[in-house]
Amino acid sequence: MNESLTLKILDQFAWLFRLLKADYRSLRLIIAFKIKMDHRRVPTIMQGGKQRADPIMTPFVKSLLLYAFYGLFLIPFLISEDSYLLQMMIVFAIMIFILITSMISDFSFVLLDVRDKVILDTKPLDARTRALAKFTHIIIYMVQLTGAFLLVPLVSSLVQGPLFALLFFISIILNAVFCMVITALFYMTILKFFDGEKLSNLINMIQIFLTVGLFIGYQLIVQSFGVVDLSITIDWQWWHIFLPPIWFGAVFEMFLLNNYSLVLIISSVLAVLIPLLSISLYFKWMPTFERNLQKLLMTSHTGKPKKHWWSTLIGRIVCRDVQERTIFTFACAMMRQEREFKLKVYPSLAISIILPLFLLLNLFNPDQGFGGGLSYLYGYFVLLMIPNVVYMLKYSSKANGAWIYKVVPIENRSLYYRGTLKAFFVQLCLPLLSVLLIVYMVMIEFSLFLDLFIILVTACLFTVICHKIFNNGTYPFSASFSFSDSAGAVLVFVAMFVIGIFAFIHFAFTLIPLGLYIYLLVLLIANFFVWKKVL
Amino acid sequence: MSEDLVLELKDLSIQFNAKQVLNHINLHVKRGQIIGYIGPNGAGKSTTVKIILGLLDRYQGHVHVFGQDIRHGTVEYKRRIGYVPENGEIYDDLTAQEYILFVGQMYGMDAEIIKRKLAVLLEKFDMKTATHSRIGTFSKGMKQKLLIIASLIHNPDLIFFDEPLSGLDANSVMIIKEMMAQLAKQGKTIFYSSHIMDVVEKISDRILLLNEGEIVADGSFDQLKAKNKEGTLEQIFNQLTGFDQHQQLAEDIVAVIHGDDNNE
Repeated sequence: MNESLTLKILDQFAWLFRLLKADYRSLRLIIAFKIKMDHRRVPTIMQGGKQRADPIMTPFVKSLLLYAFYGLFLIPFLISEDSYLLQMMIVFAIMIFILITSMISDFSFVLLDVRDKVILDTKPLDARTRALAKFTHIIIYMVQLTGAFLLVPLVSSLVQGPLFALLFFISIILNAVFCMVITALFYMTILKFFDGEKLSNLINMIQIFLTVGLFIGYQLIVQSFGVVDLSITIDWQWWHIFLPPIWFGAVFEMFLLNNYSLVLIISSVLAVLIPLLSISLYFKWMPTFERNLQKLLMTSHTGKPKKHWWSTLIGRIVCRDVQERTIFTFACAMMRQEREFKLKVYPSLAISIILPLFLLLNLFNPDQGFGGGLSYLYGYFVLLMIPNVVYMLKYSSKANGAWIYKVVPIENRSLYYRGTLKAFFVQLCLPLLSVLLIVYMVMIEFSLFLDLFIILVTACLFTVICHKIFNNGTYPFSASFSFSDSAGAVLVFVAMFVIGIFAFIHFAFTLIPLGLYIYLLVLLIANFFVWKKVL
Repeated sequence: MSEDLVLELKDLSIQFNAKQVLNHINLHVKRGQIIGYIGPNGAGKSTTVKIILGLLDRYQGHVHVFGQDIRHGTVEYKRRIGYVPENGEIYDDLTAQEYILFVGQMYGMDAEIIKRKLAVLLEKFDMKTATHSRIGTFSKGMKQKLLIIASLIHNPDLIFFDEPLSGLDANSVMIIKEMMAQLAKQGKTIFYSSHIMDVVEKISDRILLLNEGEIVADGSFDQLKAKNKEGTLEQIFNQLTGFDQHQQLAEDIVAVIHGDDNNE
């Protein structure tokens, strides 16, 4: 964490780099400055010249603490003693999920930094040293991350004896290497086949899908093996051999329980072989990757104007004022096109719709149908994403463009908020809730329409509440994204609390005859009031 | 004799996505010249520079810098090259001093010497107070001056300036122009590409005009003038690149702007 400490540790490995025929002096220099820059990754425009943020609690250190907190959840799986294969598989599934998502969200900019080429390649620096410097930089980040995440779990695993802890330690290293290289290889493959603008869009989309996919995948693994009962034995299927968490779980089962079945041996071999193999692939592909990175700088001008009839149509309905409609259209376009915004927001959107559907499907019991008259309450899970997204509305990766707000002759500032929030609601919130509404009506019963409609109206009200809490007075898209500055756990807790209250009121009104109609009316009036007066 | 030949391009070609960007470029550059490298957007100017700097490696033909073929051999030749990049790529999370320290040390310089040189240079460029400020907070001109300092701090023999005057105020422009003349007099070679024809006309010993990947004119300004019977470099440029509609286009543009006003 401390810059000089990292470098001192790095110095201990100088012999290794010399062995690899790298120019250690240049490499150390690059790493030193890269670390310095990483620790500073805070919005540049908000920073006056010399002032420094708190030197110890940098955003980076804060994010490490959060990972340490996540790590605590692994401990129960580590210290129970039922089935090594299963419990370690869960541990490694969680680990892979956390490491890959953080690699993608926080560290893509290192892999995809196009400045490096112009700045470093023009210096007398051989290709080998440059590649090693990049690799070392990623390793350092990975060590810090896994260190924060897994140090406490590792110590607590000593309960299971030193051999277990040692195995765990080695597996962690292999696993971290695996995650790191897989992410890099993934980018390399993508960059090989696509170029320019399309490529950036694609990377963006895949980042989003991967984040969501890992979430669902994790759910599925947990589901398919029935976590409730840890003593359950796994029914081996041939495709299990393709699941990385199983490789690592197998290592424990094999060494500690002396279970030398063929599958376990193959899996354990894969746990060692695949990470090593992927490293060699990484270095083999790196030069091509660097060359392909240049594609990110090139632009192709073959875009055709797309028609967005949905947002145009709704825009006409919800925005009477011409200026407000202009802002609405602008905000729709920003949300559709700004990649960093999509990256930070879309995964939570997807999860917010998947979660209630998932719970709903879990409820399904062949004997009783979709029982539970309270299933509509799951709809409130969709609202969980609202605070996160509304919070992000004030950010943009090109925040400098915000001067336009002050230059154009629009006096009423609230127009900006109203237009943008409406755009958010129409573009992101409404489609999700509509999908949910249809699913509920088709799969459960038609009468839930009223409940779901109430949730929709609540979402509309909640949007304004969130805006008031998080963004008051900031122009939309006017602040720069900073290092891991997501809405964070605190906001989610606040939001959950408020949503809980809404859900409870909703439930309370169902107990009164015609209560839901009264509640709907109250909500509509409240909506009318806040959109007209408060904003 | 061979030391006088700083740069040599032999049959240099490159394609991007089946598009011929450079088409058999041949060029000899001697020591102590300022070369104005001009051409319309997309003519291949920056591509040429990038190949020479080793940023692009899928080219055909040969590039010799200081007598060494850059495709074979070490990267040592880069130690004697300075470069101001076209798009101003810079690590703007660093302060001015940190960035120059980084660049200087990458060229193998001693940190103390860099600091001493930088202090004087920043003072001369009237940026003393910005020494410890984040580059991200700099104005365009300040950033440009810093990029120029970064390209010269290691006393290179061959200098590539890609649009080095962009964002600079008139006084700074005069400093840079005079500085280039003096550097050339001391035997440095400067490859200067710009879209501002007046400046190129005045400072260049030799002008290279690139159009659609080929060199269409090569010589001193006087030579070009004699050959093309036009008065200014701008006119020669227009003539050689086959562009003569600026007046008509401008009229069309003004008409459109005016028309909108009437409608409202």
